[in-house]
Amino acid sequence: MPGNVGSASAGWGLLVCLVFCTRLASVRAAPICSSAHAGCHVLSLANLFDRVIQHSARMHGISNDLHSEFEQYFLPSKNQIGRVSRNCHTSTILTPNGKENAQRMARDELMQVILKLLVAWRDPLWHFHQSMSHQHDFNNFSSNKALEMSDMVHELRTGVEKVAEKMQMLGIMSNSVSGLTSPEILLPSDSSEWRLMKDYDLLYCFRRDSNKVQNYLKILKCRIVPDHGC
Amino acid sequence: MKNMVVVGVLLLSLMPHANGAGFSPPGKPTLTSCRSPEKETFTCWWEPGSDGGLPTTYRLFYLKENIETVYECPDYLTAGENSCFFSKNNTSIWVNYNITVVATNELGSTMSDPVDIDVMYIVMPHPPEKVLVSVLEDKDWPFLRVSWEPPQKADTRSGWITLVYEVRIKLEEKDDWEVHLAGQQRVFNIFSLLSGGTYIVQVRCKPDHGFWSEWSSSTYVKVPNYFHRENSVWILITTFTAFIFLIVSWMIHMNRHSLKHCILPPVPGPKIKGFDKQLLKSGKSGDVFNALVASDFPPTTPPRCEDLLVEYLEVYIPEERELMREESKHLQDGFLKSEGFASDSDSGLGSCNSHTLLMDNSGEAKETDRRTDQERSRPGAEALTYAREDVSPDMSSGRVKTWPSVFSPLTPYSSGPTDQPGAKQHCLSDSVYPPGSTSPCSAQDLGLNYWEFCFSSMQPHLTQTRSDVNVSDIGPERAAARQQSPAPRPTEYVEVQRVSEEDMVLLQPVGPGPGPPARPGEDYSRVKGVRGHNVLLLQTEEEADGRACEELETKGAAHKPTACSHGGLPAPGRAAPAASGYVDTAMFVLPSC
Repeated sequence: MPGNVGSASAGWGLLVCLVFCTRLASVRAAPICSSAHAGCHVLSLANLFDRVIQHSARMHGISNDLHSEFEQYFLPSKNQIGRVSRNCHTSTILTPNGKENAQRMARDELMQVILKLLVAWRDPLWHFHQSMSHQHDFNNFSSNKALEMSDMVHELRTGVEKVAEKMQMLGIMSNSVSGLTSPEILLPSDSSEWRLMKDYDLLYCFRRDSNKVQNYLKILKCRIVPDHGC
Repeated sequence: MKNMVVVGVLLLSLMPHANGAGFSPPGKPTLTSCRSPEKETFTCWWEPGSDGGLPTTYRLFYLKENIETVYECPDYLTAGENSCFFSKNNTSIWVNYNITVVATNELGSTMSDPVDIDVMYIVMPHPPEKVLVSVLEDKDWPFLRVSWEPPQKADTRSGWITLVYEVRIKLEEKDDWEVHLAGQQRVFNIFSLLSGGTYIVQVRCKPDHGFWSEWSSSTYVKVPNYFHRENSVWILITTFTAFIFLIVSWMIHMNRHSLKHCILPPVPGPKIKGFDKQLLKSGKSGDVFNALVASDFPPTTPPRCEDLLVEYLEVYIPEERELMREESKHLQDGFLKSEGFASDSDSGLGSCNSHTLLMDNSGEAKETDRRTDQERSRPGAEALTYAREDVSPDMSSGRVKTWPSVFSPLTPYSSGPTDQPGAKQHCLSDSVYPPGSTSPCSAQDLGLNYWEFCFSSMQPHLTQTRSDVNVSDIGPERAAARQQSPAPRPTEYVEVQRVSEEDMVLLQPVGPGPGPPARPGEDYSRVKGVRGHNVLLLQTEEEADGRACEELETKGAAHKPTACSHGGLPAPGRAAPAASGYVDTAMFVLPSC
């Protein structure tokens, strides 16, 4: 009887191992290849854009939810004097504030702006999540959202970099977008401004910036690959 | 002077009136809403407060985010009254506007509450345009295809704004709308339509973060009648079938009993006394037959009338000799049946076979006994034995039950001739009860019946035994018959002449010719019991009083003294009882044909 139990458990363990191994293998099964050699699953630019746009839409959705929660529970007075002078730490980044301005901007510039924004928000969001998890005013749901948000910024940045690579490879974009290697250079030197921001202002600023990123990506997509859903 | 005083009074009176006659600074206006149709321009509307009775002007001022300069509304006219229109040049997305309306009249000005807006979140597009609804067919089933265009001003081509759409439809006369979310596509199909109905279709749109537009203007569409011809035919067929089905099921219901008998006839159970169905179901045939043997052979308790009158005595004519060579196990049944020769039922066949078998097997055993008994009983065995018989209540059928062990087969019978096609075989009934015990059946239960024996010319012994069985031929006649070499006689019958009160049957031989012989005497003795398999205990008249009762034996049964109290045997004492009161059962060999 013990022999049977042992063999049964060994069989189960083997089965579980197989399942997990195949799962892991399947995750690795479809890498995005920069060069189209055989066996590599190559994604088209339109496809890449769609994925990135979806990701940014989701990120914006989460930031919107968190901002609404903040507004509901910690409603700052709307008649605050000085509210107009809210200053997002990304306000130094020059972003087009209208359709014409955005369309007039070159693809490289626009891509650059997007990447700048994404880079600028990586640290503040991480710290925001840390501060939220320590405070007990928020439930776990909000804390999870903050964590997800900060992860998504990082993933979106990776995705956008991939898109830029693809565009450079296709010759659509010039190779002048070299800030990818060291994006920290793009940041203003005084990058600790965000530490002074209150949580609510931080959420407000990020909600806006995520919307900007999404919109710029859509404009880029419809400019470069216009046939798919534009 | 007086005029001046009057004027002064008038003026004085007028002045306060002028102040209290509703002239006041304007009331506080309210910004009702600001909307942008395409995320490139926007308009704000306000609601004026009371005007204080004086002409009031309204001005809108706004502050942009992080800019100290206060700007005034660039366009008060485009959007109508009490509105301010911000053109493209004046509109910045992702910029916070702080807007205030100021109402001013002669007496003062009043500021409204400021409102913060971001154009990004106040987008409310125009309704979709060019809504077209067409009726298409999908394998004879029509459906609606709704198509539309985004509002002209919303720039979806450049990706600046993304719209999602919603379609709603309802029947013209109904009130409930059916709403469908269409996503970003511009075509939508609607199925499951009412044949011949008129529908109203509307579409609206919304940016991914913003407000729903107004519903587009109604589009009317009529669905053609597609269901007509198929529907009526199928309805007729369905109704007709249902009707027939109802009738048939009702008829079946009325006749369910007869149907049940027809389809599932009742299974005849084994009507064998002592046969246990449960044992048979358990599958052990040995147990079944052992139970039969152990329980009821010989019966230890006086059987009730109902038990005795279970089965019929039937006599039948066997077709082949093989019927007589049955399995030995039938022997233990102890069942013998005689069939009425007029009856042709099959139920007696088996028992007839078993009867023959019984006679076969016991023939050898009894033969020696018979011979010895014959010597013994010859000198004076005058006792007659007759079997108690159980007669079925159905007297008209002429059936009589007899006790099988009374009769033992003849040896030649057992080895016997193989062809007696035409001969009748006498089968004995299966009812067995301890001899000597008072049968609960009264004489009335036993009816007059005749009992037929078959005599075969080829079996001389039969005739001998037959004559032995004859009640009427008692005494010397019998002895003579015994001593005689049995001459083959033609088929002879023994007739039960009458049944006495104490369950005794008078037998008399029936000659080859018709008609029973003269009434026999009334010498008879009662069977007291059975010993062994082939010994019959008879009770003589003298012993009837009591003495021979001690010798009464039943096979494994309790003593029944009551049986011995039977008295009144009408025998005139003609026959001297045997010394031991035994009568050789060999005398009662049952002839077989």
